Amino acid sequence: MTNWLRDKLWRHVVGVTVSFFALFPLYLVIISSINPTGSLQVSSFIPREFSLINYKKLFNDPTIPYLIWMKNTLVISGTVAILSVIIGASSAFAFSRLKFKGKRFTIQLLFLLQMFPAILALSAVYVIMERVYNFAPHLGLGTQPGLLLVYLGGAMGVNIWLLKGFVDSIPIELDEAAKVDGASAMQTYWQIFIPLAAPILAVVSLLSFIGTFNEFILARLFLIDMNSRTVAVGLQGFIGGQYSQNWGAFAAGSIIASVPIVIIFLSLQKYIISGLTAGSVKG
Amino acid sequence: MQKKLIAKSLAASLALTLVAGVNTVPASAADKELVVWADETRGPNLTKTLAAKSDWVSGYKITVKAFSSFDALKEAVDKSTDLTGPDIILGANDWVPTGAKNGKLAPITLPASVKARFTANQLFDLSYKGNLYGVPLDINNVGMVYNENLVKNAPKTLGEMVSYYKANKDKKGLAAGLCIAGGGTSWGAHSVLSALGGSAYRMKNGAVDTTKDPINPAELAKNIKTYLLDANGKSNGFFPATDTGCKDNYLAGKVPFAIIGNWEWQDYMAEGFQMNLMPVPGVKAGTSGTMFASVSGAMLTSFAAKRGVEAGAKDLLINFFASTAGAVAYQAIELRPPAEKGAQTKVEFTAQQNFGKAASKAGIPQIGAILNGAAGSKSYWDLLPAFWTAVLVNGKDPQTEATKMNGFFVKNVAEGVKDL
Amino acid sequence: MLEKVKHNAAKVLKYLFVALTSALLLMLIQSAFAKKEYEIGAFLVLALIAILVTYFSNVSIPLKFFLPGLLFLLAFVVGPILYTVVMSTFQYQTGNYISKPEAIERVRALGVAPDEAGTTFDVVIGKYNNQIAILASDPINKKYSINTLTENIELAVNVVSLDENGVAKEAPDFSPSNTAEIAALDREISNIRFKYSGDYFISLQGTSVGAVARQVLDYDKNQDKFTNLINGNQYIDNGKGNFVNKNDSEEVLQPGWRSPIWFSHYIDLIKDKNVRSPLISVFIWTVVFASLTVLTTFALGLLIAVAMSKPIRGRRVYRSIFILPYAMPSIMSILIWGGMFNTEFGAINTLFGTNIAWFQSATFARVAVILVNLWLGFPYFYLISSGAMQAIPSELSEAAAIDGATPRQIFYKITLPLLLKIVSPLLIASFAFNFNNFNLIYLLTGGGPRNELDGQIAGATDILISYTYKIAFGSNVQDLGFASAISVIIFLIVASISLYGVKKSKVLDSFS
Repeated sequence: MTNWLRDKLWRHVVGVTVSFFALFPLYLVIISSINPTGSLQVSSFIPREFSLINYKKLFNDPTIPYLIWMKNTLVISGTVAILSVIIGASSAFAFSRLKFKGKRFTIQLLFLLQMFPAILALSAVYVIMERVYNFAPHLGLGTQPGLLLVYLGGAMGVNIWLLKGFVDSIPIELDEAAKVDGASAMQTYWQIFIPLAAPILAVVSLLSFIGTFNEFILARLFLIDMNSRTVAVGLQGFIGGQYSQNWGAFAAGSIIASVPIVIIFLSLQKYIISGLTAGSVKG
Repeated sequence: MQKKLIAKSLAASLALTLVAGVNTVPASAADKELVVWADETRGPNLTKTLAAKSDWVSGYKITVKAFSSFDALKEAVDKSTDLTGPDIILGANDWVPTGAKNGKLAPITLPASVKARFTANQLFDLSYKGNLYGVPLDINNVGMVYNENLVKNAPKTLGEMVSYYKANKDKKGLAAGLCIAGGGTSWGAHSVLSALGGSAYRMKNGAVDTTKDPINPAELAKNIKTYLLDANGKSNGFFPATDTGCKDNYLAGKVPFAIIGNWEWQDYMAEGFQMNLMPVPGVKAGTSGTMFASVSGAMLTSFAAKRGVEAGAKDLLINFFASTAGAVAYQAIELRPPAEKGAQTKVEFTAQQNFGKAASKAGIPQIGAILNGAAGSKSYWDLLPAFWTAVLVNGKDPQTEATKMNGFFVKNVAEGVKDL
Repeated sequence: MLEKVKHNAAKVLKYLFVALTSALLLMLIQSAFAKKEYEIGAFLVLALIAILVTYFSNVSIPLKFFLPGLLFLLAFVVGPILYTVVMSTFQYQTGNYISKPEAIERVRALGVAPDEAGTTFDVVIGKYNNQIAILASDPINKKYSINTLTENIELAVNVVSLDENGVAKEAPDFSPSNTAEIAALDREISNIRFKYSGDYFISLQGTSVGAVARQVLDYDKNQDKFTNLINGNQYIDNGKGNFVNKNDSEEVLQPGWRSPIWFSHYIDLIKDKNVRSPLISVFIWTVVFASLTVLTTFALGLLIAVAMSKPIRGRRVYRSIFILPYAMPSIMSILIWGGMFNTEFGAINTLFGTNIAWFQSATFARVAVILVNLWLGFPYFYLISSGAMQAIPSELSEAAAIDGATPRQIFYKITLPLLLKIVSPLLIASFAFNFNNFNLIYLLTGGGPRNELDGQIAGATDILISYTYKIAFGSNVQDLGFASAISVIIFLIVASISLYGVKKSKVLDSFS
């Protein structure tokens, strides 16, 4: 009996405590979203009133094109996720497998560039994209493709770090066997590496998706038009407004926006665990 | 090798044909377009107004860009250049000095007949160093309302309000006596600061009085101790230091007096409250606190001239924003008190009129050059909330804190008047 | 045979892809040079050459893999960083924002003054003798005239036809333009100064109003100075981005321009105590914050990983719950937590019956920040630790158990060291990420609490990046030049520390 207690009980105690810690804010979001007064005031922890008015507002208020925002976010984050994984995968493969001059210097440079407080390069990005708008209005400031381009700037740096470890863990013998068969580097990449790396690539693209989803500072500056906004910008506007704070709609919007991500995350749990750790395990 | 060469040349010719076939040098815009930037409420309201009637300026198309928030609009305005900037901006009056200094705004000269439709203060609000940079749109101010179910008559002094609160706090479960439902603890709270005897700057005969200190620390401290603090020097709960939950509490009948903004009065009337707007009563009967009665303006940018639409933009300002018909049409949707005199008599709702009346009774101009703080000093917007927190939440000595605040205010006034 | 087909198909695909990209780039280059964007055009040309050379020859195979990523990196990361470094050597703030030619043009445009009476006219735009002209009316004084660039032709009231307001609509030899023509001519006519009298001219204020003014500030290009034609004051370039009165250094003309001041910002940073000391204390807190975050998230993540390492009932449920904070979009979570910490109505104070002013007290605000970051970050380290522990061969712990080691000894002497070796790059990465974790501070506390009344600029929870952001964009007097200098300094400090940390942990050795 005591053995069981010592061994199993403490695990449950830890599990329950941390679960409470993890779930509490989420529970609050849910009860705020069904609170008809639309405020953050918690009068009681068990909701006395149940109302879907906040959700209705999201979908019926013509000044809140929530579904369009969701669509924009999915398009932008999805495209960034796919493209940045492609960029990251090919770069990671090159840095892991191929020998070339200046490799060490380049990777150090990449690492250092991550350290720069990007938020302050905001003005610079704005100026550059304005100039792009000058000669290519579909790609410049205020357009979704333009924002995409800026996001892709960071793709290589971030993803190399995550992917490189995994690439290293693929046995080099596979590569050598392919070389004996006469395959070039490119062929090895597409025909051997990519199929093997599919799980980790899926994970990295999901992380990239979430990261882009959360980005609102650049998006807020770029996507002005009500109909080209992302969910992050739109929701931030609910409570960042000068004159009003609409916590109810914010909570409802947050929940709806999170649901797809949570579902994907939970169903890909296995991949995620193996993917995140494969990046650091050697051999 | 041969094959490779062929393949490469095929690719090259493909590329060149594509380029030749598609001319992507954008033709210069044939339509004359006027671009107006506004925030998340004004933008949609303006769009609706223009949808009903859009021929205010013949020969030009008007496009409205609504930003996701007031802050996002300001951020974009700060960064705008002639490549992507607007022709007209709907913004706060304290953007004028910054915009002019950064070369983003251009002046307009109004004929006497148009100027006569506004007050001198309103035009001054949108001027910098003698040039007018836009036309006034509507008056931004706050006013105090009282819950007629709790309080039968309008209070005459601050003391009356505090006594009511103390007497009824437990009986009626009051959450506070006077709270700020709209306008925030710096802009909206000027009424309270001035009711207690302080001020951001002193006015005399319509101009800033640089001979008087904005705050007399001893007097302000005395009033705060009498009305806002209890015997132990802690807040007596009459006036909270933050505005969270104020609107909800007032609507739930838990607060008898509230300061509300003129952009949200519909929410209160919808719940059955009367718009018995008044300035915050002062310490002595017959005195009252003053509120910032600034105007929001439609400002002209220097980008309009660079884009060859300057005359059209000026027309939009004069024929729509500054005209009675335009102001009436816009305010019927925006629901704020219009600045234009003709429109003021025509607004539908008593609330709009009452806000206007409160502004004329107790409004002072919102002078950005002083309020935004001099270099090396702090802005009024940061100082006043910090003052409330220090005195009401952290229990610091009112006189010490008031002296510190006055030090900054004096410096701001001295520097600010140079930049008017 | 199939291999050959596949091989050729791949080649065709590659050529198609490169061709399309080249076509797109060529189009962009053409537009760029047409619109005089030479720098961007030059970059695009180099990019195009790089693409063609890389993919159509075998000069560098690795480059084929990371050229696209590299180009994006150069354009949107390296470019802005270089721009920021350049900005740090400029006086670039409110009032010194535009370029010098633009500033001169603006000062000239603003350097006009109306006549004493502030005369304005109702005008009709049209043509007179083939020149652009206005038909000007002053209904009150009953004065009418046709004004062109060179002439002011006064008209008697009986030759013009008036509308009901006394505004002249027609006049002999004057043909009014229609609205479309006026719109098309907007740029031209807005620049015309129609002759009035003496120095005074009429300038258009819209299509139906004209105002009388005269140029007061005159610019001399050769001497690069402005002269006030009325009172004779002279304004010269003060080397810091403004035209200043020769005899009164307080009087500057607005707007100013962004002017190179080289290392002044950096010298200020080092010399000025008011600037230097907040920077040091903010830096210390940033390091503490990042370190505590990494420590707490890793500790909690590891704890749960160990707790869940043996199969217990409901383990799958626990696991799904633990991932939820990581799966939720962080901006939403941060804002919700912000609401929870509210003093009067927040869930935390209500739940525990406390009345802590979380965001008004320096200590509690810092606790709050660490707590929220813990909530956001522990799932990541839980996943990492779980996977890493699985990767550690079980033979090691089994052998140690046989040798008589207790579970605790096994954990501390075998498991933990191996685990640390595996996750150390990720710990460093997490430290780096949180060092610049702008979103959390900005959204949760705004960097506060700040003792405004004592003149504090840096708040108790400000980290370097949020502090710099406040200086650059946060207040009404924005100083981009100074903030850029701070960014460069931050970057240098952080880069050297990271390089040192990375060298020590030999993480990058695997790269060469």
